[in-house]
Amino acid sequence: MPQTGNILVIGAGIAGMKASLMLAGASSKVYLVEKLPIIGGKVIKNEESFPNLECSTCMVAPIQQDVLQNPNIETLTYSTVEKIEGSAGDFSVVIRKKARYVSLTDCIGCGMCYEPCPVSLKNEWEENLINRKAIYVPCSGSLPNVPVIDSEHCLRLSCGEDCSLCAESCAFEAINLEDVDEVLEIDVDAVILATGSSTFDLSSIPDLGYGTLPGVYAPLEFERLFASNGPTFGSITLRDSDKVPGSIAVIHCVGRREQKYCSAVCCMYSFKFARFLKHKIPSVNVFNIYSDICVPGKNYQSFYKSVEGVDTEMLYTSSIADVSVSESGSGLKVAYPDAAGAMKELSVDMVILAAAIVPDDDVIELAKITGVNLDSRGFIATVHDGSGSMETSRKGVFVAGTAEGPKDIQNSVVQAESAAGQVMGIVTSEVSVS
Amino acid sequence: MEKSSEIEFTPAIVGFLCNWCTYAAADLAGSSKLELPPSFTVIRVMCSSRIDHNLLLSTFFKGADGILVAGCHPGDCHYGEGNYYARRRFALLKKVMETLDLAPDRLQLSWVSAAEGKRYAEVVNEFTKKITELGPNPIKNSTRF
Amino acid sequence: MKEFEMREAGQDRKMRAKVGVYVCECGPNIGGKIDLDRILSDLSGLDDYQDVELVVKKYGFLCSVPGKEFLEEEIKSNGFTHLVIGACSPRDHDSTFMSVCSKTDLNPYLYRIINIREHCSWVIDDKEKATEKAESYLRGGIARVLRQSELFEKPLDINPDVLVIGGGIAGMEAALSLSGEDRRVFLVEKTDRLGGVSLDLSGLLPGQGFVISKKIESIMEDRNIRLFLNTRIKAVIGFLGNFEIELVSEENAETTDIMAGAIVVATGCSLSEPGVSDHFSYEASDEVYTSLSVEKMFSGDEGVKLRSGEQPSSAALIHCVGREEKNYCSGICCSYMMKLAGLFKNQSSDIQITEFYRDICLPQKDDQERYKAAEAAGVTFIRIKDISIKGTDVSFEMMNGEKSKQSFDMVVLAPALKPSADTEELADLLTVPLDEFGFFQEVHKMTNPVGTSTDGVFIVGTAHGPKGVSDSMQFARASAGQILTRLIPGEQLIPEVKVTEILEAYCTGCGNCLEVCVYGAIYSDDSRGISVVNEAVCRGCGNCFGSCPSGALRTKHFTNTQLYQEVDEALR
Ligand SMILES: Cc1cc2nc3c(=O)[nH]c(=O)nc-3n(C[C@H](O)[C@H](O)[C@H](O)COP(=O)(O)OP(=O)(O)OC[C@H]3O[C@@H](n4cnc5c(N)ncnc54)[C@H](O)[C@@H]3O)c2cc1C
Ligand SMILES: Cc1cc2nc3c(=O)[nH]c(=O)nc-3n(C[C@H](O)[C@H](O)[C@H](O)COP(=O)(O)OP(=O)(O)OC[C@H]3O[C@@H](n4cnc5c(N)ncnc54)[C@H](O)[C@@H]3O)c2cc1C
Ligand code: SF4
Ligand code: SF4
Ligand code: SF4
Ligand code: SF4
Ligand code: FES
Repeated sequence: MPQTGNILVIGAGIAGMKASLMLAGASSKVYLVEKLPIIGGKVIKNEESFPNLECSTCMVAPIQQDVLQNPNIETLTYSTVEKIEGSAGDFSVVIRKKARYVSLTDCIGCGMCYEPCPVSLKNEWEENLINRKAIYVPCSGSLPNVPVIDSEHCLRLSCGEDCSLCAESCAFEAINLEDVDEVLEIDVDAVILATGSSTFDLSSIPDLGYGTLPGVYAPLEFERLFASNGPTFGSITLRDSDKVPGSIAVIHCVGRREQKYCSAVCCMYSFKFARFLKHKIPSVNVFNIYSDICVPGKNYQSFYKSVEGVDTEMLYTSSIADVSVSESGSGLKVAYPDAAGAMKELSVDMVILAAAIVPDDDVIELAKITGVNLDSRGFIATVHDGSGSMETSRKGVFVAGTAEGPKDIQNSVVQAESAAGQVMGIVTSEVSVS
Repeated sequence: MEKSSEIEFTPAIVGFLCNWCTYAAADLAGSSKLELPPSFTVIRVMCSSRIDHNLLLSTFFKGADGILVAGCHPGDCHYGEGNYYARRRFALLKKVMETLDLAPDRLQLSWVSAAEGKRYAEVVNEFTKKITELGPNPIKNSTRF
Repeated sequence: MKEFEMREAGQDRKMRAKVGVYVCECGPNIGGKIDLDRILSDLSGLDDYQDVELVVKKYGFLCSVPGKEFLEEEIKSNGFTHLVIGACSPRDHDSTFMSVCSKTDLNPYLYRIINIREHCSWVIDDKEKATEKAESYLRGGIARVLRQSELFEKPLDINPDVLVIGGGIAGMEAALSLSGEDRRVFLVEKTDRLGGVSLDLSGLLPGQGFVISKKIESIMEDRNIRLFLNTRIKAVIGFLGNFEIELVSEENAETTDIMAGAIVVATGCSLSEPGVSDHFSYEASDEVYTSLSVEKMFSGDEGVKLRSGEQPSSAALIHCVGREEKNYCSGICCSYMMKLAGLFKNQSSDIQITEFYRDICLPQKDDQERYKAAEAAGVTFIRIKDISIKGTDVSFEMMNGEKSKQSFDMVVLAPALKPSADTEELADLLTVPLDEFGFFQEVHKMTNPVGTSTDGVFIVGTAHGPKGVSDSMQFARASAGQILTRLIPGEQLIPEVKVTEILEAYCTGCGNCLEVCVYGAIYSDDSRGISVVNEAVCRGCGNCFGSCPSGALRTKHFTNTQLYQEVDEALR
């Protein structure tokens, strides 16, 4: 088989986008496969990112634009990889492009089609804090700014009703209700897995009240609540009400014991939340309940120190595992053991649980398809040959970002750059062979 | 000193927006179909630091009733620290404006990030309101300089 | 009436400008909100310019495939000298229309996109007002485009070789990953040995089971790597793709000149001296050791012994020494202290080990195993609020306020990592800034952590900040990734086109502009007494523009003359 110089990157978060841009810059043809209808990954859910609270959209949107406009990158959104056969330098890949029902070339993103759609359901991308239609973009500022029809909920596509209101409202005839999945077969020399991660299932610890007490929030829910392009345009109000919380507890390390590792970013995002809260609601009282502070590296502790005692009161607990949240009047009661082990109580309006970073829900499936090994925690394993290599157990297949383990944006980018360098080895060495 | 005029007055306002943050916010305001005043004209520059005193003063002499310069939040400048320089130059220019009998409030430096479409609309609308209250630019087409 | 004339390059003959103005309807998005026919007739009748012919048309959907073909054909058949597109945001389609221009004879910098959608039709409800506004923007665009100049890419030849400074684990890994892809590497190490700090460590993190001596051997045998031991950097000039470096030998002061396309800085870190702080106080004693000296003992043959020659029967391991003063957490000490505890226990299973810590920070996913192993081996962990050490007596206050005092045979301190000694000097040579802690500063904390403001100079390993061996190697590989994808043998680099230039006639050589450029793109040409912009380095931000007291600068494509055209129309 002749070498193609083609690369497959799976996952268009910060790691996948960075790697794609580097390789495209080196004249490789990159296929960037993203399962969601938009690219950007988790970082675009954050209004601002630590350590310097830089606006994430400002940081990531130019990268997203570069990806979409780069002639060497074919971005396949709303797509998944179904099969990878062959070996390094000669993989053949099967990709399923799910029917989007909206043409990426004809749609200009005017948004006229959402309004007429009679279906309304929760928007998962906005962490279910707001509703969307069956035809929708996940958030304002989505890239590509082209809606998708959720075929499971569209009246026509799911129950065969005679609705075509969206298509009628589109002046560009961009909507094709007859659209079907497309299957693509491509040959590539190397693969980078940048499929990211998920967050710990908070409802698995019933004592913390997540899912039962509306005042208890998952971290990404809070990110969206704070975001100025989010469901509330950035005003922090309690679920399903206009009430502004007067006091908030952020509980660190949720899931660390269960997962048996420290996620390295939760302390930092917990401090970020405290800063956000104090900034938006100056009269608010924030309490960070912690047992260890992990702020590794040169950039983090100074942020912690600037928040500690200023934006939040730090409450030490001798055991996170014994912290519980319950209802109390119209608010919440947090019970925790203090340094001496005595139970203390705290009344607050809102609780944010700093959930651990865990492997993505689809990773087992992905590992099967791509034929790579997972480590004991379920993240994609590298060869561990003591060289910092990003190669997985399958030669020619590399991993980068939080797909490999919990980490911040910085280290996700570093791994993406490493992986891109290693892929260059495969592309160029093959070229010189042929 | 200048006085605000009695008659209905529509100010002419120029907004120099940095390409990376505020211009993106203006786009977001646009795609969110937020209402903006027709009297506000956007001029795109790569960074707020590109705006120099000459450009600003000439824009006032040419008749702008207000100028908004908007860029990335401090620390977020695409080019590292451009907006800090912009801020420093601004402080200086405001002093110059006083000596010209030009209310320093006619010049505003704002930080608006790419995600802040809604805030962009608020900043522009509020600034327009403020300039409307201040009335016409007293040094428009001034020959003194 | 404004006059406009264009001169053909090198000729004195006046050429008529022919400007194409194409307004996109964007379906109802522009077409439905703006009276395009009125704009068409108004602009066609425009007699603002002498010698300028305007062709004004509208089109349904310019960015579509047929739209682009239409546009290309129009440019070619009309022979436009300039092009204005009234459509959407440049963030959406500037590059689309620039590539259309590139397919014709029209220089892409003589085209301009005017955003009448996001700035007019979508935000102004009143059709009359929206139309007026759009027309004003378009007039501004026509005026501006006539003042724009052709700009051309200036591809640069590059040198694909790489200089790596520092032969610790990070430098070695960078060198090996580059040489593995057939790049020539100059590896410069100031001491007489490779390996850096890692060579003194007694075992690394779980899963890092490699032998450092093997790596050193690979370097020695690698024909792509030219090793300079006992050598330092004396001088550096240049930019990405073209650096010239002077090396100097520590032994005989002989110098060597080399050329490279990129520089990887891997000069590592050192241990800070434990001092007195708010939270800890120490008094030196014979049996107080730094972690590194204990690492060295463990990696030797005799294991850890007290100065008396006996094996200790108890040891206090003190975490976070100097963390408060430095205001950063080194992120590795908790982990290696647990490793040391394990090594003590291996040496003698009944040794009493107590770790005094403030926070347990184990950011690597494998670190937690060391913690569990240490706990299982019977190591005592005490979380302290305060501590004070006199000799080998440790007085401490626990979280619950209880105070206590214990004596040990030996005290081991984990001092913070700090920048290595030469950092400042090297930063000066490379014109790379240092951060508030004295480490090399990355150009962007999140999106470009190995890059520096001097493009082509990369920082890896602990020269960037405290980190463990795995992260150090990953940073090294990341720099290799950037170099391998950006400096490709036989290919050229295309620098930014919209750069700033300095007009020699106006420049007084005051050097103000030089001060403000974060990229170090401006240098002073002493022989001519002026400052000069290196166009290969400038990114076109325009920051220098405002700093020049004599108006000598011009930021291409964003000159004041060009911006005034937009201002004038806005204020008409
Ligand atoms: C609440 C919270 C706050 C945070 N705040 C910060 C912060 O302020 N600063 C900071 O540095 N870090 C922060 N982080 C960490 C940061 O989010 C991650 O480091 C970063 O998102 C990792 O990027 P990634 O590209 O590895 O993964 P992701 O951003 O998760 O992107 C992975 C992409 O792959 C796609 N994908 C997944 N599976 C598949 C598949 N099978 N096929 C195709 N596509 C797939 C996903 O849809 C996604 O788009 C935070 C994390 C959390 C949870
Ligand atoms: C006590 C201790 C225990 C540790 N334990 C572990 C552990 O268990 N696991 C782990 O992962 N990490 C551990 N670390 C961290 C680990 O040592 C570092 O991550 C690693 O050494 C960093 O490598 P480096 O190449 O960046 O720097 P270094 O090892 O410091 O190497 C830098 C090299 O550059 C050379 N150099 C400096 N200046 C110049 C100059 N001007 N010109 C030329 N050459 C120069 C130096 O001589 C040196 O050879 C430990 C650190 C310490 C202090
Ligand atoms: S599908 Fe049509 S109506 Fe919907 S956003 Fe796209 S162009 Fe607009
Ligand atoms: S066809 Fe489906 S998506 Fe379109 S409007 Fe009807 S229900 Fe909504
Ligand atoms: S600031 Fe102006 S005059 Fe001074 S050196 Fe720079 S270009 Fe020359
Ligand atoms: S435009 Fe920016 S990068 Fe270029 S020389 Fe001026 S300050 Fe430096
Ligand atoms: S790039 Fe936005 S202010 Fe500098």
